[in-house]
Formats: sequence, C-alpha cells, structure tokens
Amino acid sequence: MSAGLDNLKHIVVLMMENRSFDHMLGSLKQKYPKINGLTGNESNPDTNGAIVRVQPNAQFQSQLDPDPDHHFPGVDLQIFGGAPIGPGRVANMQGFVKDYFSQTKDVNRSHNIMYYFTPDKLPVLTTLATEYAVFNGWFSSIPGPTICNRAFAHYGTSFGQVGMDIFYILDTSIASIYERMIQAGHTAKIYYYDQPSSTMEIVNLLKNQPQIFGTLDQFIADCAGNTLAEYSFIEPCYNDHPGADGGQILASDQHPDHNVREGERFIANVYNAIRTNPTLWQNTVLLVVYDEHGGIYDHVVPPACTPDGKTASADATGTGEPFAFDRLGIRVPAVLVSPWIPRGTVVPGTEDPANAQIFEHASIPATVTNFFLKGDAKRTAREQQAKTFLGLLSDQMRQDDDCVVFNNLQ
Amino acid sequence: MPPKVIAVPKTDPGAYNPNRPAGTLLQAQALHMREALIRHLHELTTLVNIDMKSLKTEADVSAYVHKATALLHTQAGRPAKK
Repeated sequence: MSAGLDNLKHIVVLMMENRSFDHMLGSLKQKYPKINGLTGNESNPDTNGAIVRVQPNAQFQSQLDPDPDHHFPGVDLQIFGGAPIGPGRVANMQGFVKDYFSQTKDVNRSHNIMYYFTPDKLPVLTTLATEYAVFNGWFSSIPGPTICNRAFAHYGTSFGQVGMDIFYILDTSIASIYERMIQAGHTAKIYYYDQPSSTMEIVNLLKNQPQIFGTLDQFIADCAGNTLAEYSFIEPCYNDHPGADGGQILASDQHPDHNVREGERFIANVYNAIRTNPTLWQNTVLLVVYDEHGGIYDHVVPPACTPDGKTASADATGTGEPFAFDRLGIRVPAVLVSPWIPRGTVVPGTEDPANAQIFEHASIPATVTNFFLKGDAKRTAREQQAKTFLGLLSDQMRQDDDCVVFNNLQ
Repeated sequence: MPPKVIAVPKTDPGAYNPNRPAGTLLQAQALHMREALIRHLHELTTLVNIDMKSLKTEADVSAYVHKATALLHTQAGRPAKK
C-alpha cells in the first residue's frame, strides 16, 4: 500500500454533464503525446458524403443547440455509423455528423458536433488533467443518456435500464454506495447545488433523506470545517434560475447548451475548497468525471465489458435489438486529483492494449466499496470487475508550492 | 514560494437565460420529482396535480424542482453530520 493510500480519508467525485473526451481534452495530444486525443485528421462523413474533420472551433455556448442526441438509438448510430443491426457490424465512430443532422436539418450546422476546445479555453480542466492524472480510457457505462449512466456511479448498475426513467425505485437488490457506507458506520453524502437545481439521484432522495443529502454551500463549509464525509458526490447546477438574493444563478453542469465556462468555474470552486484546507488536501482524492458524451464526437471505439446479468429489450433500446450491457458507452473526460499523484500522469487506455486500464462509472462504487468497506457489499458482477483508481496514489506527496490553485474571483 | 495561480475568466453575463426551453434531462428530473411526491409523501399537493406540460422553460422547471425538493429534503442546508 502506498503512503498516499495510507493517508487517504476522503474520496470526492464531481460528475459533470454531457461532453466527450476529445471535445474537452483531445487538443492536449499536441503538447502531451501520451494523451489519446486528436491528431486533427479524425473525421466523419456528413449527409452529403463530404468529409468533416475535427476542428478547434468549440465555443462556450450556442453551438450545440439543439441538444445533440444521446439516447440509445442515436448513440448506436454515432458508434456504428448507420450500419444495419446484426452480427458482424463494426464500430467505427462515423455516425456523429449524420446523427446531428437528423436534429439540425442543416448540413453546415451538423458539422459542429466535430468541434473541440483548445486548452486556453478550458484552463481548469486542462490544468487538472496535466498537473495530476488523466484517464485515456474512462468510458460512460452505457451508450445512452444521463440517468442510466449516473445510476452506475451510485449503484454499479442501472438495473437493466438504458433510458431516463426513474426505474429502480422499487428494486432493492443492490444498495447504493451511500447506503452501503452508512449501514457500515461510515459517512457519505450527495451535495447538490441548491434546491432549485436539486439532484438527479431522486431515488436516494426518497429513501434516505435527509441524511445523505446536502447543498454545495454545505460542501464548502464541510471542507473548511473538517467535517467532510468520507465519500462525497457533488452535482453541479442543472439550470439557470434566480438566486435567493435576486441574483442570477447559471447552470454549471456544462450540458449543452449551458455555458462551459461556468462549469470551469464550478470545477475550480470544488477544487479550491479542498485545496485550500491543508489537512483536507493531504488526505483527499478528487475525481472529476462526465456522465456521458452528450452526442459529441470522440474517436475511440468503446470496448467490451463484463455484463451485469441484465438485458434491455429491443423495445427499450429503440434499435430493434436487445442490449446485454456487454459493451461500454462513449469515452468521457476523467481526471484524478491529489498531491500524491505525480504531475503529468496519463493512465493508458485502449490505445495501449498491453497496459490498458479501462474505467467506467461502476469504477466509482467499486473503488469506494473496496477502500472503505474492504469489498464487503452485495454488488453486481459488473461492479466487481470494474477497475479501481486509487492505485494511482504514490508514496511521494508533492510540496504545497507544487500544486496549483485557481483564482476564479475575477 | 507560493503555489502557481491559474486565473479562471468570468462567464459572459449574457449567458444567463432562465427562459431557455428545458431539455430532456430537466423534463425528466421534474417528472421524477412528481413521481417521488406521489409515491412517498402521501400528500397530493398542487405540485402533483400540476400539468407537467406547463413546465416549458428552465425557470419553470427550477421553480417546480425547488418546491418539490423543499418538501422532500426537509433538512437541506443543515450542517453535515459525521
């Protein structure tokens, strides 16, 4: 066991919304060749057959309206390029532009799905990715939308669902990671932004309120007061709404078409809350990860995974074919932060088959359960096989002046 | 030596738009909140009886979610318990 792991007392996960790895971090490959991002030659055909290359033209807002399709049939088209359903079809990541055209009905606008950010536009996420650890192979758990993917982060399964239903309310076969922790005498909390934004994990809101839930203000206070739970899951603000004092609260989840820069500021706030408490900083690890790709281009074919014994029907998937939860969704940004992680750590993914470490959202409850509960919980086969991420903590803690802080008060 | 400080620019003030049409995620969240109210509170409040199609904008959804969360999460804002 590393010294970093010996010192670990808190795991914090911040889950953002609907952006792909290449869209947010793909440009880093130019300066950091080990990061499996974009060469600039990746492309998709549009509906006229023209080749559309990736371009560094992503803007903070207004380019991805309407919201790109990220429900199961749409993601299937994105991954398989429109090849007919059936055995032997090959994933080629060639259907993103075609799928976005089905929404925009505008060929030129459908090209926006290939746009990516340059690092100067995302100083927070790209700094964390290069100052700490970035995962080349962290995938969403399902090639589908938000709710089922977030379920994997809470339960290690979506209970056989591939959509947005509040599906597992009556299924008590697998406890959430928060219930597991609390039943074992540990502490765990979901911090949502505020009540007008609330949570997407409504099942736990029903079953365990108020013990499991807090607000972002409470997270900030818990960090400052050394009262942070052993495991914390943070939700960004999901909508624009008036503040209690009459001000303007902006959505910070980065879900299209919400402003990406506001999400950057939110990530910086969460990081600073941990970073500026010297005690907490030394014994906490922060994972920043996105729930799914939001329909936005990524060049890496999602790999196979351990099934969890569930099957979604052909009707449920909407593709005419059932889904056995035997392959992952599209790749998302994921960054692990701790002073115990060497600068510039790049965790290899599918680009390096001999050393690949494949992660998905079931890796979150798997890591928390293994570390705090020594694996003692009823879990799906999927979660039991999920790769855990605390092995990235080293024996050497970086000095205080070697770890950045963000100034987001400008 | 102090740590390196990274500046994070302000968000464009024009980004705020509570009248933006609510997307599928927010619509789903509101539906889930309504389901939660029906199943667990046994209080058929006006929140349950609302016409969900009337929630058209982000401001509409946030106002609805705010009221529902206040009912469901009665201790929001209290200090964390260790």
